[in-house]
Amino acid sequence: MSKKYITVTTLNKYLKNKFDTDPHIQNIIIKGEISNFKGHTRGHLYFTLKDETSRINAVMFQYSASKLTFTPEDGMTVLATGRVSIYEATGQYQIYIEEMQEDGLGNLHLKFEQLKKELKEKGLFDSIHKKPIPKYPEKIGIITAPTGAAVRDILTTIKRRYPICSTYLFPSLVQGLDAKDYIVKQIEEADKHNLDVIILGRGGGSIEDLWAFNEEVVANAIFNAKTPIISAVGHEIDFTIADFVADLRAPTPTAAAEIAVPNIVDINVLLNQYKIRTTNIIKNKLNTNQNILSSIKESYILKNPLAVYEIKTEILNGLYIRANRIIKTNITEYQSRLKGIKDNYILKNPLAVYEVMHQRVSNSYISLNRIINNSILDNKNKLNQIKKTHILNNPEKLLTNIKSNYNLVKNKLELLNPNAILSKGYSMVRKDGKIIKDSGEVKIGDIIDITLYKGNINAKIESDGK
Amino acid sequence: MENEKFEDVLKKLEETVKQLESGETDLEVSINKYTEAMKLVKICDDKLKAATQAVNKVLSENGTFEDFEVEK
Repeated sequence: MSKKYITVTTLNKYLKNKFDTDPHIQNIIIKGEISNFKGHTRGHLYFTLKDETSRINAVMFQYSASKLTFTPEDGMTVLATGRVSIYEATGQYQIYIEEMQEDGLGNLHLKFEQLKKELKEKGLFDSIHKKPIPKYPEKIGIITAPTGAAVRDILTTIKRRYPICSTYLFPSLVQGLDAKDYIVKQIEEADKHNLDVIILGRGGGSIEDLWAFNEEVVANAIFNAKTPIISAVGHEIDFTIADFVADLRAPTPTAAAEIAVPNIVDINVLLNQYKIRTTNIIKNKLNTNQNILSSIKESYILKNPLAVYEIKTEILNGLYIRANRIIKTNITEYQSRLKGIKDNYILKNPLAVYEVMHQRVSNSYISLNRIINNSILDNKNKLNQIKKTHILNNPEKLLTNIKSNYNLVKNKLELLNPNAILSKGYSMVRKDGKIIKDSGEVKIGDIIDITLYKGNINAKIESDGK
Repeated sequence: MENEKFEDVLKKLEETVKQLESGETDLEVSINKYTEAMKLVKICDDKLKAATQAVNKVLSENGTFEDFEVEK
């Protein structure tokens, strides 16, 4: 008997896919106590998370584990963020942890992560909302405690780097339950004073100390402010919600001041460079123009102004000579043509023209007379010829011609008479009046009618002659 | 010009220097730009030296600004 089965691998693959496509277990935070902790040589962490009644295997790979800010150990209660999936080789499901915090502070971390997620989804952290920080501010607002390291660090750094900048301190509580309301009030106040930038910060402390900067009202106040805000809360490793919403996050208050203002030394260097660059350019340009001017001054014409006049005079002379020559040549040519005309034969013998014309008329008259006389003579001869050869001069010959033509026609007609052929012994056979030319046209017993030169015979066909 | 923001004056200076360096050959134009650049440099210098005009204030309880000295 063979039932249909699937392989273990197929089953585990199928189940893994089920886990991996379930949205509810892709990004979860769970709380549990660490046990069976094993640190792998390659930096991966393997352990179990448990509570009073249940347990789950956990793995944290090296790239996530390297970001931990504490050293996990057995018995420690932690908040772990990650996804649940199946390890196909063993068929065991486990949580793959990406981030993990100690739960001594558990509830605050949980609130922080939840608010961070929520505000991120609302778009409060989007880079599109980040305002640019001006490079050369003239008025800077500072929201922090009026005493302590933070305010001192910020102010001394600004004065040292950029003493031409004015500062406006908006004193605020920065820890404790009321701090968030103070901070919100001072952000709104500072935003009214047309400042170039606001530094919002406080010195280092525990997560509880920094907590006011993780409050949603503070986040909204920062987001709504029109003035660019640099956040500087705690130490470099501390991240607060305020840091994510602010237009720029500085790791410390001192760093915030360094970001907010330029260094006057750098500006002086820059100004000096501009001076040197512009001066060099102008020097070069002046030198170039000086050189051009010198070379113009040295030119031949400027040194010999009369040369211009001399050159023009030479050209004028040349033109004068050429014009003279041309005019002389023309006059000579016209004089010789005039002389030729004067010497003409006709002009000298005007009667010659008449003589020539008279001779032409005389010649024409003579040849015309000759043509007419010839024509008259010719026509006389033709008339005589016609008179001699005309038929009227010979009537007998005409009669002989007519007779001979008549006999010729008569003979031809006689040849065409069928009786003439019968007279020579031929006979004509008819059947039913139709002339028979072929023996096939009659058959035995037919009566045929034979016409002779004289008389007719009726005959009956007895044989077909074959 | 003296009342303009330092940043704006500096930006004008930067543009003027760039124009000068862009190869403008007309000497008169160049000299005008050079004069302009030097004037802008002086304005920037003056602004940087006017540190005494900068103030440090604190917003007091009654809503007015008062002078503020950093504790040493």
